[in-house]
Amino acid sequence: MNIFLHELNAYRKSIILWTISLAVIVIISFSLFPSFSRDIDQIKNLFEAFPKAIRIGMGISLDRFANILGYYSFPFSFVVLFGAIQAMNLGLSIVSKEVREKTVDFLLTKPIKRTQILTAKILAGIISLVITNVIYIAVTSIIASVVKRDDYSFKIFFMISITLLFVQLIFMSVGVIISVILPRIKSVLPISLATVFIFYFISFLSSITADDRIRYITPFKYFDAVYIIENSAYEMPFIIISLVIPVGAISASYVIYDKKDMHAV
Amino acid sequence: MNVIETNNLTKSYGKSRGIVDISFSVKEGEIFGFIGPNGSGKSTTIRILLSLIYPTSGSANIFGKDVVAYGSEIKKEIGYLPSEVFYYANMKVIELLKYSASFYKKDCSKRINYLAEIMHLDLNKKIDDLSFGNKKKVGIVQGLLHEPKLIILDEPTSGLDPLMQQKFFDLLKEENKKGATILFSSHILSEVQKLCDRVAIIKEGKIIKLENISALKENNYKRFRIETLSKIDKNHFNIMGVNKLEIKENRVKFIFKGNINIIIKKISFIEISNIWIDEPDLEEIFMHHYSKEA
Repeated sequence: MNIFLHELNAYRKSIILWTISLAVIVIISFSLFPSFSRDIDQIKNLFEAFPKAIRIGMGISLDRFANILGYYSFPFSFVVLFGAIQAMNLGLSIVSKEVREKTVDFLLTKPIKRTQILTAKILAGIISLVITNVIYIAVTSIIASVVKRDDYSFKIFFMISITLLFVQLIFMSVGVIISVILPRIKSVLPISLATVFIFYFISFLSSITADDRIRYITPFKYFDAVYIIENSAYEMPFIIISLVIPVGAISASYVIYDKKDMHAV
Repeated sequence: MNVIETNNLTKSYGKSRGIVDISFSVKEGEIFGFIGPNGSGKSTTIRILLSLIYPTSGSANIFGKDVVAYGSEIKKEIGYLPSEVFYYANMKVIELLKYSASFYKKDCSKRINYLAEIMHLDLNKKIDDLSFGNKKKVGIVQGLLHEPKLIILDEPTSGLDPLMQQKFFDLLKEENKKGATILFSSHILSEVQKLCDRVAIIKEGKIIKLENISALKENNYKRFRIETLSKIDKNHFNIMGVNKLEIKENRVKFIFKGNINIIIKKISFIEISNIWIDEPDLEEIFMHHYSKEA
């Protein structure tokens, strides 16, 4: 419990900063929604000038722009992108932070098992993400209710929004296993930016090629807002993958971390 | 009862040297010195005892329990002070110490205040603002606040001024009187001589000698540097116990091992203008004494 609280306290600032950033994306784009939906025909003409591939890649579905949920899927793809970076940073830091700041000796000479340390740290990471998501969804739903023109389903809105957490958990767990395997990470951000953008780029490609197999590679394509709006459901295979990756990565991390030699600084 | 017991402890790192077949035991209530030049394997051994790294082969027990299998349980009664201390930079000293104390299921606040007072440590400063020596003091308090039964010190005196070093040694002796066993690693012989009952001498990953400190004290090594007023006979210092003799005009340099009185008498025969007597580096002693045996 002491490690958990210590970690959560250490993440406090970063939670606040990331949550604000995510909310700002939605606030800015939602503030444009009233004018968007008013002049929807002109906007459609404008976007039709864009190459179709780019439109699809960016998650712009013209037919749905008049509706707030359809509109939401556009900024939400950026929210997920940024959220993924936050989660990956978090996952990478969990173990690497102690090595980088050389506090690992302090922690590991305490009467506590390594698995307990990892559990406390991962839990603190997950709670940080949950807090981010709760605040994000609260802020976003308030803004949505202000700018909406017609009623919308909160259930669908929630179903879309909470996929942020699902994607974040995947990236966090990937971050954890990377930080457990690499002996020393000098700086977290380059690794998380590179990883996240590679997957984002793959998702961009997969939109263009419309090859369904590519969707399995990138978490950004596991939860399709359009599908959720139409079916009020997630796609089962991707729900399974979203469970398998974190569970697998975290379990492997436990095994590796428990056996790892912690060398002198 | 043996508090620490290692059996053929070996750690290999690919090509670079680790430790080979380290076997020794430390009895309850003993202050045991672990001495060897830098890079000889002292820290590697200590890190295995603390299960920070795992042995390639062999085993180690503390309080009769295997360090790998029962690491977390054993550590309840271990206090550890590394040569370089690193803590969470933006915490205050008191916050760090309380965090440290929270891992042991007892109230350590009185003890923290007591130790901080002895070591002249300001509890309300930020760790980041502390000097190297003051960080070291945090390390000392952190290592002793839960009154451990075994204190493991890895080159603990670096960065401490002589006064603090003395206070620290007094503190260790006090803990030892209360029953704590101490494993003290160092590359400075005089330090170990001051404190320890028994020493293991480690070189190139192997223990080359286990000795009572009394035996080491008999082998009192001193480095002499003398400036004479006139040229002296080259054979004047050619006596038992003088090693590495160098004579350049009116400067004489050598390392002496043995009864100090003999060499002092010898010096009194000549007219000197200056003299320095100090502790030779451990490396020098090793090169001259133990290199033949190892």
